[in-house]
Amino acid sequence: MPSSRSSRRARPAGRVAAAVAVAGTIALSTALASVGGGVATASSHREAPLISADPAVDNTDVYAFVSPDDPNSVTFVANWFGLQEPNGGPTFYPWATDANYDINIDNDGNARPNVGYRLTFRTEDRRGNDTFLYNNGPVTSLDDENLLFRQYYTLSVARNGGWEKVVEGQVAPSHAGKASIPDYGDLRDQAIKDLPGGGKVYVGAAEDPFFADLRVFDLLYGGDLAEVGQDTLAATNVNTWALQLPLAAVTANGDPARNPVIGVWSDTERYSMQLSPGKATRTGDPVQVSRLGNPLVNEVVLPAGLKDAFNGLTPSKDATIPEVVARVTDPELPKLIEGIYGVPAPAGPRNDLVEIFLTGIAKGAPTLDGSAAPIQADLNSHVLNADKGQIQPSEMLRLNTSIKPTAEPNRLGVLGGDLQGFPNGRRLGDDVIDISVQAVEGAAQTGKLVDALAAGDKVDANDVDFLTQFPYVALPGNVTAADAVGAPAKLASDGATSGSSTEGAQGSGGTAGSGAETSEVEVQPTAASSDWTNDLMALGLAGGLGAVVFAGAVAMWFRRRRAAVRANRAAFARGDSTETG
Amino acid sequence: MASTAHLDTAPSRPGRLLLVAALAVLLLVSVIAAGLDDSNRETPAGTPQPVPDRLAATIAQAQERLRRVPGDAGTWAALGSAYVVQARVSGNPAYYAQAQGALDRSTQLQPTGNAAAAVGLGALANARHDFAVARGYAEQALAGNPASMEANGVLADAATQLGDTTTATAAVQRMLELRPGVAAFTRASYELELHGRVDEARVALERALGAATSRDELAFCQYYLGELAWGGGGVEQARAHYERGLAAAPGDPALLHGRAKVLAAAGRVDEAITAYDRLTQRVPLPQYLLEYGELLESAGRLPDALSQYRLLGEQQRLHAAQGSADDVTAALLAADHGDPAEAVRLAEAEWSRRQSIFSAEALAWALHAAGRDAEALPLIEQAGALGRRDATVDYRRGMILARLGPARTGEAIAALDEALATNPHFSPLHASIARRTLETLRGAG
Repeated sequence: MPSSRSSRRARPAGRVAAAVAVAGTIALSTALASVGGGVATASSHREAPLISADPAVDNTDVYAFVSPDDPNSVTFVANWFGLQEPNGGPTFYPWATDANYDINIDNDGNARPNVGYRLTFRTEDRRGNDTFLYNNGPVTSLDDENLLFRQYYTLSVARNGGWEKVVEGQVAPSHAGKASIPDYGDLRDQAIKDLPGGGKVYVGAAEDPFFADLRVFDLLYGGDLAEVGQDTLAATNVNTWALQLPLAAVTANGDPARNPVIGVWSDTERYSMQLSPGKATRTGDPVQVSRLGNPLVNEVVLPAGLKDAFNGLTPSKDATIPEVVARVTDPELPKLIEGIYGVPAPAGPRNDLVEIFLTGIAKGAPTLDGSAAPIQADLNSHVLNADKGQIQPSEMLRLNTSIKPTAEPNRLGVLGGDLQGFPNGRRLGDDVIDISVQAVEGAAQTGKLVDALAAGDKVDANDVDFLTQFPYVALPGNVTAADAVGAPAKLASDGATSGSSTEGAQGSGGTAGSGAETSEVEVQPTAASSDWTNDLMALGLAGGLGAVVFAGAVAMWFRRRRAAVRANRAAFARGDSTETG
Repeated sequence: MASTAHLDTAPSRPGRLLLVAALAVLLLVSVIAAGLDDSNRETPAGTPQPVPDRLAATIAQAQERLRRVPGDAGTWAALGSAYVVQARVSGNPAYYAQAQGALDRSTQLQPTGNAAAAVGLGALANARHDFAVARGYAEQALAGNPASMEANGVLADAATQLGDTTTATAAVQRMLELRPGVAAFTRASYELELHGRVDEARVALERALGAATSRDELAFCQYYLGELAWGGGGVEQARAHYERGLAAAPGDPALLHGRAKVLAAAGRVDEAITAYDRLTQRVPLPQYLLEYGELLESAGRLPDALSQYRLLGEQQRLHAAQGSADDVTAALLAADHGDPAEAVRLAEAEWSRRQSIFSAEALAWALHAAGRDAEALPLIEQAGALGRRDATVDYRRGMILARLGPARTGEAIAALDEALATNPHFSPLHASIARRTLETLRGAG
């Protein structure tokens, strides 16, 4: 049946055709260029975003340490939304409002949280449809009318049951530059809140306390350690939640003397939706989208194919996944290092790594194959808690809260003989890259640092000093140490150079080279001394008999190790890296 | 009956192709350069851009890293995937070749267990309409990384276009269970929209918008929120979304397309023509070329309309010569402005490859153009089987019914009324054809 279309099958007349041809040439070639490059999409086909990271809910770091200025309390610092450029214009980095940000604490060793703290957020957006800028003038206080985009948090707690609100507060905004925020310190101070029942909280921006030359991971891709020494994360900011709590609030049965060890990890959950009819709104249990305990587990331990799965896993399931366990007992990194540096990989199964990552270090720590724990020292395993439950190996940061802050923190933590450091919890100044690389090479078990890797990534300290008081993390933005609130001016001038060995002002005033600046900290009855017997006495005064007994044993074990380590280090110290302690 | 302007059938091919290929080679470089600069050109100087362009940052960081560590297969895969997105965002298809190069490098470095490269290659295949190939890559990626939200995304996209709605729905649901976020919520929105659940689709897009942290994500969400509103006849609402998106992403081609459509719907025809002209110069997507041509035709500028159809025809022929098939658009072009027999051939080829609501609609319309309305009817009904509220489908169903005799006149009138009630601006050309047809049907009935 012929088409009953009209006779408008017009063929352009000659002159028109020529004009069309000329006018069409550019468009034609453009259209054709699109063919040369590949197919352009058609209207029936929608290409939605896919490879999008989700930085607002990505955990970057978790820290847990006994507060140096208040050893009856513990401080947690959990960070999200990394790699924020501080001077990239008026960009800001909001917290997600359809997510739960959690710090979880397991204090009886069964890998389930006994105590949980949670942040949820809401946004108050006064910008209207006219602007995307989040301030229209300098912001000098949290309630400054110039601050158009505000976020507020609710802090809740769960103790073996449902969630209860603790406090509400306002988020200290992203640092959008000096013109917008002339003095971030003011905002930060206004944002710190005291908690009923003891403790403090701060939610806002901070300078990223993680210091590392991330190029050290080039090792995994055929690079080498020749070009390291630059803090990749210098002058970047993060979203920070700092939370300080009395020890009784987080330890089993509220008794830190009987149960000093706590396990800590942070996670983020996002509410999802369902496609079934009527369920497109926020429905169902939230989905865990990110999770973090020990630093660098994702980089050092897990392969690409497991990272996604791990992010959705809760710690109680870790040991049930053979592939995850295998990455701990039979790690990849030492084999790579052997290939490049000829350092023999330690023999497996790596039960020392099981102790460090999955059970905590203790003489009686359980191993997965029933053998004795190789690191024979009582440090930070839940087996040391009198009221422990069924111990379940799991990946989390473990802190022994009876080990009090030291006068002179050592960036190599336990491997440097400083028991308060990583892997016993994690302080801001602990050099987890160097520690982790050494640990994965067996240094925790042998007590010897590996020569070829002794310099590590050659970034030994954060580019900006930490603070001596809550929230300890440095102010966001490209600030010098002189701007850090609470740091005496003298420290500022001494500590300003990056790459030096300052342990940060987080320890009890022991900054290298500045002489004995009067410390604001009262923890240590004796001044900067690294004599173990003095430390033992301090522990005895502070922590009761139990603490003294096993701290003493640990001290003895590490004293022997430390002597060997110090001898090695003297041999390998490089010009720009001086060690204290 | 009213109809549309038609071109002659195929001109002499070999000589044309030679000339055309020569032009393409000569101008490819300058066009790529222009395309790469375009996003900057569109940004008014001095406008602060507070929504970060994380896509550009990701590409720059990956490139920098690969200069230093060229053996990093994972970063090559990430770069390739980012290029696939950049091709869409910039409207510059030269990025597809770059994506292919980066992804090939990744698989070269890591031939087995490379789930990230499989995801990228799958996304690239989807972008090139190789939906069956994309599906294969998605399954490969899932074998290596079962918890991969992205692999499920590639699968969902491919399955939707292949007409496998069960797999698509399951894959999107899996994304929502693995990692709710922009990728999952936007696909959930599309799923819901295809099933006619428009309010829920909007809610899902608003969830996605809330989770967006990058300019390209924000632009995407605002564009499709605009499209949802547009589809229901909400021109002012659509305009608000497009403009809000353009405030954050001034050069975004899709949002500029939305703005042009709104101008046309508002009766500002000259401005709309200018907007489409600029848009198609820069980003000659088949959909934009077709809409531009039909706008010109509805405004009475027939020669200009024909040159757009000719352009589109050339483009389609070159696509076919290169083996990349987009026969749905080619069939629709031929049905409305070309040779109906060709339209049927193209649509049947597409139908043999995939039986989706999209290819059903194209075949139905091609058969209608060829006067085979009795065969067209079941197919156009299949196109509406999922429940999608689509004025264009209703219009096409109405036009098909209108040819099937007085017994179907009532249904024809109802379908055409429904189309115009849903979205009176669904097409400047076809909406007026719909109105004239209704007059005729009512007069005759």
